Amino acid sequence: MSSGLPLLPIYLVEFWGSCLMIALSLAAFRYARRLVRLEPKRVIWAYLFWLCMALVALAVSRGFAHIVRLFLLFFNQPEMWRRLAPYSGGLNSITFVAVAVLTFYYENMRAVTDRVRQDARTLARTNRELEEAQGKLRHLNLNLEQRVEERTRELALSEQKFRHLFEGTKDLIFFCDENTRLTDLNASGVALLGYDRKEEVVGRPLAAFFRDEEKWARFHCRLSAQGEVADFEADWQRRDGSPLYLILTASAIRDERGAFQGSEGIAKDLTHFRQVTEQLIHSEKMASVGQLAAGVAHEINTPLGVILGYSQLLAEDFAEGEVRETLAIIEKQTKVCKRIVSDLLKFSRNTVAGEKRAADLNGTVEEALTMVEHTLNLDHIYLQRAFSPEVPLVSFDAERLRQVLVNILTNAHHAVGTEGIIGVWTRFNGHCGEAEIVIGDTGPGIPSEVIGRIFDPFFTTKGVGKGTGLGLSVSFGIVREHGGRIEAFSPPRDPKVLAAGMQTAFHITLPVEPAGGEG
Amino acid sequence: MFPTRWQRAASRKNGGLLRIVPAVVFLALLPQPAFAVQVHGGPEGLYVHMMAHVFFSAALVYLLCILRRRPPDGSRGWTFFRYSLYLFFLWNLDTFMVHWLSSRLPDEALAESGPIWGHHLNSPLTFERLMYYFGRFEHLLSVPAVFFLVLSLRAFCRQAEQGRSDPGAP
Repeated sequence: MSSGLPLLPIYLVEFWGSCLMIALSLAAFRYARRLVRLEPKRVIWAYLFWLCMALVALAVSRGFAHIVRLFLLFFNQPEMWRRLAPYSGGLNSITFVAVAVLTFYYENMRAVTDRVRQDARTLARTNRELEEAQGKLRHLNLNLEQRVEERTRELALSEQKFRHLFEGTKDLIFFCDENTRLTDLNASGVALLGYDRKEEVVGRPLAAFFRDEEKWARFHCRLSAQGEVADFEADWQRRDGSPLYLILTASAIRDERGAFQGSEGIAKDLTHFRQVTEQLIHSEKMASVGQLAAGVAHEINTPLGVILGYSQLLAEDFAEGEVRETLAIIEKQTKVCKRIVSDLLKFSRNTVAGEKRAADLNGTVEEALTMVEHTLNLDHIYLQRAFSPEVPLVSFDAERLRQVLVNILTNAHHAVGTEGIIGVWTRFNGHCGEAEIVIGDTGPGIPSEVIGRIFDPFFTTKGVGKGTGLGLSVSFGIVREHGGRIEAFSPPRDPKVLAAGMQTAFHITLPVEPAGGEG
Repeated sequence: MFPTRWQRAASRKNGGLLRIVPAVVFLALLPQPAFAVQVHGGPEGLYVHMMAHVFFSAALVYLLCILRRRPPDGSRGWTFFRYSLYLFFLWNLDTFMVHWLSSRLPDEALAESGPIWGHHLNSPLTFERLMYYFGRFEHLLSVPAVFFLVLSLRAFCRQAEQGRSDPGAP
């Protein structure tokens, strides 16, 4: 055996190594292909797949080359191997280069893939943000619809509430345009102004309802200048001309440039309140006057009695002559004075209890009418009766009540003069427990500036010597003594009385005591 | 009848092809060096092959650098893959060395005539010859390299099958 190292171990390793290389590279190729199929979008698997492809080529090329070489050497054909070796080496070189190119190119491909992936992530994030924004927008839209519905519902409720307030209030609520013409007002306002329908009032100038032009000018000026008017007292007039005492609160409506566009306001009817207040004041005045009159009458009554007594005694001493005539004049005037003093005492006798008992009111009124009817008929003044059978027994002093009725009827006679009607109504108001006597006449009526003073003592519109001015004062005192009240209206407040053509109406109201009371 | 101008042109074209094909066959059967083509010597193939090894090694180093710079997850697949790259790199060095030493060995260094079991590396067994001899056991490197590659791919497959979408590719 020659010295050196045998090549047989190398050949054996080459042979079996080549076989293993071929087998393992095929296994690697199979796994790589499986990876690519499992996750085809992964760049790294694509790279490994192509790497394995190149390695398989390398392994097969080298493996088969080694095996073929060994076979050729085994069969002692080295020359043939020398011819094949360049092909094997060339193929191996190509696979090396292919693996290297793939590896170098992988980084670039990975960078591109990263960029694409980053763009995809950005796109996905943008898409997600867009979806979120769309979701928010959808939610907002949905929420907006709900909010609009809620606001609409709230507005409807608010509108309904204010509509109820507008229509239900007893005060007058009005709206005017820039020309101060009424554009809208509530039902109470329509009724308060004496109209039946709103259309009759809408379009009318607000100034037309003011009785005093100067007051209207002041109201409008203040509204235009200050933008609002609060607690403005004004006298309005209804459709029929009757007075209306209102407290006005109004505010101007302006556009964004401040130009006057109209006004809105509310007016409270204080007519009745003012009447009651005036009556209260009048009552207090009457009470004061009554106390004064009672004092004066009491003090004067005694000297008058002395004067009358002595004048009558002296008259007995002088049967005739000038002295007798003088004494007669003194006696007559003294009697006149006593009658006045007596009337004053009647007016002020609120502390002196009369003889009140339950009686038929209609019967007492009829008695009073009978007393004056003949006189009235002489002047062609006729009585018109409308007695309610529902009037119950009322407790009163019949004599004094007759005096009141005669006083009022006499005044009506004087007012009518000749040819007219005096209407008399009796009625019972069960709700208030009051009986009422209304006496109206077709005379000229009582001027508004006078009507507040007619119950004052010594106030008269008659000529000198025709009246003392105590008739209505005395009547006022008598009625008040009965716990009732006496009121005068010109024109009449009651539609029935007004419809009967009356120009003035006196209302005497007496309380009706419950059954089982006095009498 | 005389041929038309088009017929004459077609006739000239067909006649040209018939003349070119035999010329090409003749030239293919009798190759001669063309002065316009650069002619290389015999070692060119070996140099190309060795440069391909260098190129392959550089690519492996480059890939290992990428794996080091952006290390993937610590899964077994990538560990096997790195082992495979190291072994392939060593295999490249080994084969490069063997190619280089082979070119330096004298013809009498290898006795490859006669029966295959009688082939041997002749004395004197210098360092170069010993390096050459042991370097010829290149499959001791290449087979484990491919084996680790198979292991890594199998691990990747299992991961993919388990639904792991991102194995942490570099």
